[in-house]
Amino acid sequence: MIIEIGHFSTIVALVLSVFGMASAALALKTRNPDWARSGRMAITLIFVLLGVGMLSLVYAFIIRDFSVLYVANNSNSKLPFFYTVAAVWGGHEGSLLLWVFILSVFSTLAVWLHWRTQPTIMPYLIAVESAIIFGFLCLIVFLSSPFERLLPVPLDGKDLNPLLQDPAMVMHPPMLYMGYVGFSIPFSFAMAALFSGRLGEEWIKVTQRWSMFAWMCLTTGILLGGYWAYYELGWGGYWGWDPVENASFMPWLVGTAYLHSVLVQEKRKMFKVWNLFLIIVTFSLSLIGTFLVRSGVLTSVHSFATDPERGLYILIFVGTVIGIAFGALILRSNKLKSQVEMDSLVSRESIFLFNNLFFLVAAATVFLGTLYPLILETLQDAKVTVGPPYYNAVFMPIALGLLFLMGIGPYIPWRKASVASLKKSFSTPLLAGAVIVVLLFVTGIHNLYALAGGYVVTFAGMAIVLDFGKISQLYAQRNGSNIFQGGLAAFTANQRRYASMLTHIGVLVLVVGIIASTVYQTEKVVSMRVGDEFAIGDYRMKLAKIHEVAGGNWNAQEGVFQVFKGEDLITELRPQKRIYSATQTPTTESAIYATKMGHVFLTMPEVSEDGVAVARGVLNPLVLWVWGGGVIMGLGVILNILRPRKKEE
Amino acid sequence: MGTKNKKIAIIVSILLVAGSLGYLAFGNFGENIVYFVTPSEVKAFTAEAYSKKVRVGGMVVKGSLKTQPEPVGLTFELTDGASTIPVAFQGIPPDLFKEGQGAVVEGQWRDGRTFHSTMIMAKHSEDYMPMELKQAGVELPKKDFMKTLSP
Repeated sequence: MIIEIGHFSTIVALVLSVFGMASAALALKTRNPDWARSGRMAITLIFVLLGVGMLSLVYAFIIRDFSVLYVANNSNSKLPFFYTVAAVWGGHEGSLLLWVFILSVFSTLAVWLHWRTQPTIMPYLIAVESAIIFGFLCLIVFLSSPFERLLPVPLDGKDLNPLLQDPAMVMHPPMLYMGYVGFSIPFSFAMAALFSGRLGEEWIKVTQRWSMFAWMCLTTGILLGGYWAYYELGWGGYWGWDPVENASFMPWLVGTAYLHSVLVQEKRKMFKVWNLFLIIVTFSLSLIGTFLVRSGVLTSVHSFATDPERGLYILIFVGTVIGIAFGALILRSNKLKSQVEMDSLVSRESIFLFNNLFFLVAAATVFLGTLYPLILETLQDAKVTVGPPYYNAVFMPIALGLLFLMGIGPYIPWRKASVASLKKSFSTPLLAGAVIVVLLFVTGIHNLYALAGGYVVTFAGMAIVLDFGKISQLYAQRNGSNIFQGGLAAFTANQRRYASMLTHIGVLVLVVGIIASTVYQTEKVVSMRVGDEFAIGDYRMKLAKIHEVAGGNWNAQEGVFQVFKGEDLITELRPQKRIYSATQTPTTESAIYATKMGHVFLTMPEVSEDGVAVARGVLNPLVLWVWGGGVIMGLGVILNILRPRKKEE
Repeated sequence: MGTKNKKIAIIVSILLVAGSLGYLAFGNFGENIVYFVTPSEVKAFTAEAYSKKVRVGGMVVKGSLKTQPEPVGLTFELTDGASTIPVAFQGIPPDLFKEGQGAVVEGQWRDGRTFHSTMIMAKHSEDYMPMELKQAGVELPKKDFMKTLSP
C-alpha cells in the first residue's frame, strides 16, 4: 500500500510539472504575478511529492517488501540495514528517482532564494526546471519505475551487488547527482537570460555560488568513486578511464572551464557567448553522463535492443534539451557581441582563454574515447575499446600545461602585462621550480613526468605562496600585528580570491599524489603457503595463518599477514576473500597500512583448497595526497561560497 | 605593433596551441583502438596481425584451467563453439573468472599458436547488472595501466 502512495505521488508530481510549465508560460504572457506564484507552488509541491515517493521506496526497502520488483532485485533479507537504505540508489530506477528528487530540492531552493531579487527571471526559471523535471518523470513513470510490483512474490531478494555494499558507495551517487543537478541551476538562469534577452553579467553573478557548489559536489563524487575503486576492486589503483568514470569526468572538465571563464565576463565583459556555450555543454554532459551510466548503453549498443524505448527516449530527451538550448543561443547571438577586444596575448584574459582551450580539448578527448566505440558499433557492428594508454598519453601534457597556467593566471594583470611586472611576479617561482627539479634529480627521481610535474607544481605553488606572503605582510604592517594575523586579515578581506587559491593548493597536492602513486607504484604478485614470506620495497610480508571469518551476509577466508620492516614487526594486515551468501559472489577485500608517505596495500585474491594463497602487495607512495588534496579543494570552495557578500554582488 | 598585427598574432597563437593540442589528442587515436574478436577470427589471423593487441571473447573450456605458481598465472582454453584457442595468462584473474563461464581476454596471438594475455575480464552472471562498475557486465581486473605512463 505504501509503495502505491509513493507511485501515485510521483505521477501527481509529473502532472504538476506540466502545470509548472504552463503557469510559467501564462505568467510571461499575462504579466500576472499570480501565475508565477502558482508556478512556484507547483515546484514546491513537486519537491514534497517526490519526497513522499523517495520515502515510500526507502520504507519498502526497510520492511524488505520483496513484492516490489526493484526491492527484490537490489536487496535481500540478510542485507545490513545501512546498505538496505543505500540500496534505494543501487540500481537504475532508484537512481533516476534520486536524481529527480535532488533536482526538485534544488529547484525549490532556487525559486524561494531568488524570488525577491530576480522577479523577471523567475517564470523562465520555473519553466526550465519544470521541463527538466517533466522529462525525467516521464522516463521514471512510463519506462523505468521503481514502484513496480512483482508477482508471484519471491521468498527473498537477489541482493545488492556485494561490491556496492560499501560506505563510499553509499555517498558516491548522491554526491555525483548533486553535482550534475547543481549545474541545472546556472543552466536555467542562462536559459532565462537567453529567452528574456537580459544578457548582462547578472545571471553569472547570481549563479556563481550555485556553480561552485555543484562543482564541489561533482568533485567529491568523483573522488569518492575513485576511493571506492581503490580499496574495493583490489587492483591498487583508483582511476581506470572506464566509460563510467569518464561519464562523470566530462561534465567536470567543462564545468571547471566554465568556472574560470565566467570570471572574464565578470571583470571584462568578454566571453559572453562562450560562457553560455560552456554552461549548456556542462549541463548537457551531466545529462549524457547520467544516461550513459543509467541506460545500460555503455554495456553495448545492443542493450538498446533489450530496452529500445528507454534508449530511444533518452536520446530524444537529451537531443531536445541540447537543441532548444543551442537554438536559443544561436538566435540571440547577434545581441551577444562583446564590446571589448583582447588587448594582448600577455594578459590574464588570454591565460583564461588557453585554460579553456586545454580543458575543452581534454573533455573532447574523453568524449571521443568514450563514445567512439558506441558509434562504431552502431555503424559497423565492430566492437572496439579505447584503452587507458590513450588517455594517459593525452592527459599528462594537458595537466602539466594547466598547472603552469595556474601559476600564471592569478598573478598576471588584466589587459596587458608589462615585462617588468612579469619579471617581478614570476622570476622567483620559475627559479624555485628549477631548484626543485635539481633536488629531485639528485635524490634519484629520474622519471620525466615526475620531474616535469615537480617543476610546474613548485612553480604554481610558489606563485601562490609569494603573493599571499606579500599581501599578509602588508596587512601585518598596516595593523601592527604579526604575519599570521596579517595573513588572516588578508584572507578575510579578499576571501573569494584566497579561497580560490586554497582550492588551487588542493589541486597541487592532488597532482603530487597522482604522479607519485602512478609513476612510483610497485607491485608484487606471489603464490605462498602459511609460513612463507615475500619482500616488497622495505617491507617483508609473512603469511602467519589463514582462517575463516563470517560477517552478517558473507563468509570469508582471511589471511593474517605480519608486516616487517627490517626486523621489526610493524603491523598485521588481514585481507579477505569473501563469498556473499545470497548470490555466492566472491569479492576480494583489501587491507591497507598507511605509512607516513603512502600505503602498503595488500589483497589475497585466491586461496586454493590445498592452502596455497595468491597475494598481491602494492606500495603506493603518497596516494593519500590524492584525497587529501580533494579535501583541501573542497574546503577552498566552501570558504568561497561562504564569503561575506559584497555590495557589488 | 599595430592593432591589426596584434590581432593576427593573437589569432595565430591560439590556432597554434589549439592545433598542437588537437594533434596530441587525436593524432594517435587510431593506434589506441582495441578490437573485439572471436576465437575463430583469431585462428584466421595472418602473420601481420600477430603483434596486434586484441580482445577475445568466449567461454572458458571446462577442465582446461591450470594454474602456475611462478610467475603467478594460468593457462586455459577459450572457445566460441566453432574454434578453440589456448590462452596463457600472467597475473591474477578477476573474482568471477571460472571454468564454463564467459570471459574476455586481452593480449596478442603472438606466435600464431598461443594467445598471450595480461588481462582477463569475467562476465557477470545475468542477474547482476553491475552499476558503477564495468562496461559489458564485465569485471575488469585493472592492470597497472598506469605504468604505461612511464616514458
